[in-house]
Amino acid sequence: MQPSLREDYLEAIQNFIEKYSHPPLTEELAAALGKPEPVVRSDLDSLISGGDVSLMPKGFISLTGQGQQTGKRVIKKHETLQCFLSEILGMDSSSASDEACTLEHAVSDETIDRLGQLIVQQDGRGYRERRRQGKKDKTAICPGGADCNYPSISDCSEGEIVVIHCIQGQACAKRLLDLGMVPGERASVKRKLSNGALVVQVKGCDVALSPEIASAIGVERCA
Amino acid sequence: MKIALLGNPGAGKSLIFNQLTGLGIEVNRYPGSSVCLECGNVCYKKEKIEIIDLPGIYSLDGSSEEEVLVRKFLEEAKANIIVAVLDATKLERNLYLFTQVTEFSPRLIVVVNKIDEAQRQGLIIDSDQLSVLLGAPVLLTAASEGRDIDRILPLALGSAKVATVKVPYDHHIEAALNSLEKTLGTPRYKGLLALQGITEDRMLLDSAGAIAHEIELRHRMSVRQIIATNRHNLARKVAGAAVSHGDRKKTYDLDSLLTRAFPGVPILIAILFFLLLSVFVIGSWMEGIIVESFTRLVIAPFSALALPPLWDRIGFSMLIALQAGFGIAFPFIFTFYLGLSLLEDTGYMTRAAFLADRAMHRLGLHGEAIIPMVIGFGCTVPAVMSLRILKTRREQTIAAFLISMVPCSARTVVIAGIVAAFVGIFWAFSIYLIVFVLIIFTAIILTRITPGEQFGMIVEMSEIRRPQARLVIAKSWLRIQEFLFIAMPLLIITSIALGLFQYFGLTDLFQQMVSPITITLLGLPAYASTALVFGVFRKELAFETLAVLAGTADLGSVMTSVQLYTFAIVSVLFVPCTSTIAVLYRQLGARITALISLYTVFLGLLIGVVINLIMK
Repeated sequence: MQPSLREDYLEAIQNFIEKYSHPPLTEELAAALGKPEPVVRSDLDSLISGGDVSLMPKGFISLTGQGQQTGKRVIKKHETLQCFLSEILGMDSSSASDEACTLEHAVSDETIDRLGQLIVQQDGRGYRERRRQGKKDKTAICPGGADCNYPSISDCSEGEIVVIHCIQGQACAKRLLDLGMVPGERASVKRKLSNGALVVQVKGCDVALSPEIASAIGVERCA
Repeated sequence: MKIALLGNPGAGKSLIFNQLTGLGIEVNRYPGSSVCLECGNVCYKKEKIEIIDLPGIYSLDGSSEEEVLVRKFLEEAKANIIVAVLDATKLERNLYLFTQVTEFSPRLIVVVNKIDEAQRQGLIIDSDQLSVLLGAPVLLTAASEGRDIDRILPLALGSAKVATVKVPYDHHIEAALNSLEKTLGTPRYKGLLALQGITEDRMLLDSAGAIAHEIELRHRMSVRQIIATNRHNLARKVAGAAVSHGDRKKTYDLDSLLTRAFPGVPILIAILFFLLLSVFVIGSWMEGIIVESFTRLVIAPFSALALPPLWDRIGFSMLIALQAGFGIAFPFIFTFYLGLSLLEDTGYMTRAAFLADRAMHRLGLHGEAIIPMVIGFGCTVPAVMSLRILKTRREQTIAAFLISMVPCSARTVVIAGIVAAFVGIFWAFSIYLIVFVLIIFTAIILTRITPGEQFGMIVEMSEIRRPQARLVIAKSWLRIQEFLFIAMPLLIITSIALGLFQYFGLTDLFQQMVSPITITLLGLPAYASTALVFGVFRKELAFETLAVLAGTADLGSVMTSVQLYTFAIVSVLFVPCTSTIAVLYRQLGARITALISLYTVFLGLLIGVVINLIMK
């Protein structure tokens, strides 16, 4: 039997065991692989003679130590390749999975290990580099703050109803988000003091804001 | 069996907790934080159940002490069952927190509280529908009337389960969570936190940070914003399906008076003034009764025992400390806390914070800082403890300096006992004036030199409601415990140390050493230095010791008015008391504590010298 076919079987059995935490019956395995049952039955015979698979009572198919090792290795190859194809090369996840199914049989263990390291490093390095480039883009919650030229809620007057468009500044933004001040949310200005401090009603709750926080909230006025 | 109450601030957790546990509440300070956890035990069907009241929070992925505490509590699964308390009048906003709680998959039940208030507002909540949508048992209660509170425990013990509701996140977030789970084996809730930059695992932080950045570029929105929006959308959907609106009864909106500059600000000033005045009147009335009966019933019999001198001294110092603690501090502080808890429970304090925001900005603070400042008029110790409501280190530092200077009730005793009694009532007010000017002056300098950034005020206005006597008293009692268990032991220890100090005749030695400062610079008699040092242990002790050392209670006959005035102002400004130093150290560390102590000593002496030079 072909090596790639053997690996497909072992992978499928191991996957089944991990997913349902019991070994499959022949019919279940055939269904998982999408193959006719007689074919699976004859293939299993050659796997048994190869020492990868053993038949348990009641017809359950279990893996021998050697078979389990191979099965796990193939699964790891599949996942690493799929992650590489989808996360780093940006392919969509279903075609990445199909592609990984073909590649997993030819690729060596070393290639997989190195690929795995690359994925982790790539993520890390890319992030660190971007952080070095400037912290500015991290502080503006509305990326490219320049195009957020909506009037701020502190320019509104008492009784006005607005739709929140963006929030600038990271530190205060979290609490505002938690209180429901997310883009697209309607809010009404209930009270405004002469220094620009506001009471804003959002999601049925009144929230008091300092002037400097109010000025970080960009809004669109509703007629 | 442990059951924890979790919910937004003001959802009625405390009231439910109080009704479930009755009396016998313990306050546990969570290790490594200053947040209080209230615990109480109940017996249900012969089983001991511990009920924990978690602090009210808005979210589980924030960085405030309370939020971190509750997050750790859920992560470590410290309670067997969570009772999620939701406010029926603000169901949508409260569900936002609930969606986060479910991600930690604890076994839980949902209690929708304030159902009576919701009915008044014309909101009808379909609990069956809500239960189906959230996949968890739902109970409607009205804690203020005690309605259905007794059903909470049976439901929690009988049918708590892991809620099935799941936030449908944006597909990029879901993909990121999947890939984190595959590559690093990160569970879903951890992945969500890591994408928002909250994790201690460096590798996870790096990979999650990279993915988060990709997502931010694609969406032109921060990950936090996307996640929050997704959660709010689910909350809206659930609330929309479970709540129907009927007729709303018209009620008079008190906020039209309370939150406008006029008449809001005059009302605020009047309320604060009335609070301090009533504390002073009621406090001194209680003080008189307690001190007198204590002397008659405890101290006089003790003196009559005629123990050996050393033991007599130690015992006497201890009794004096107890008398001072219960007789002087307790009446003022407890009355003050009653008033403060009353104001808080009516929901007025959030309005005060809003109105005070402008004035507080001038001091480098913001509106919320008015709460520690007001508490500081009662006792500095709990005021320093409440500093954690301020969000940046900069604000905490500035506020700590100012609070240490605010005349607490013990300093009021000094001002009243020395200046008001022997110099004149107007001179007593002038000391307040000088202290306030110095506070403003200090604040102006500190706003320029303190590092760090300013965080503005974001406060949810709690609704105006009628306070419940039981809760107000319970709250004041919890607060006074901070004083009793932190300040009292220190009072007793220092009092004994002082007693021994005197017994071995070290006071004279000390007086001689510092006499150049006392006599030449401050123009005070030598024994005043001892009284000043005693004032470091307890402020009002400065006054009592001075009378003892002068050998007469009629201080006017032995010291000139200028001397009395100088003495009072120096002891009011001079170093915060030992209890304050202890809490400052715990809250802000050794450096800031040392700076505050040095600054106040220096300021006290400087003002003393200036007054001595001008008035002599």
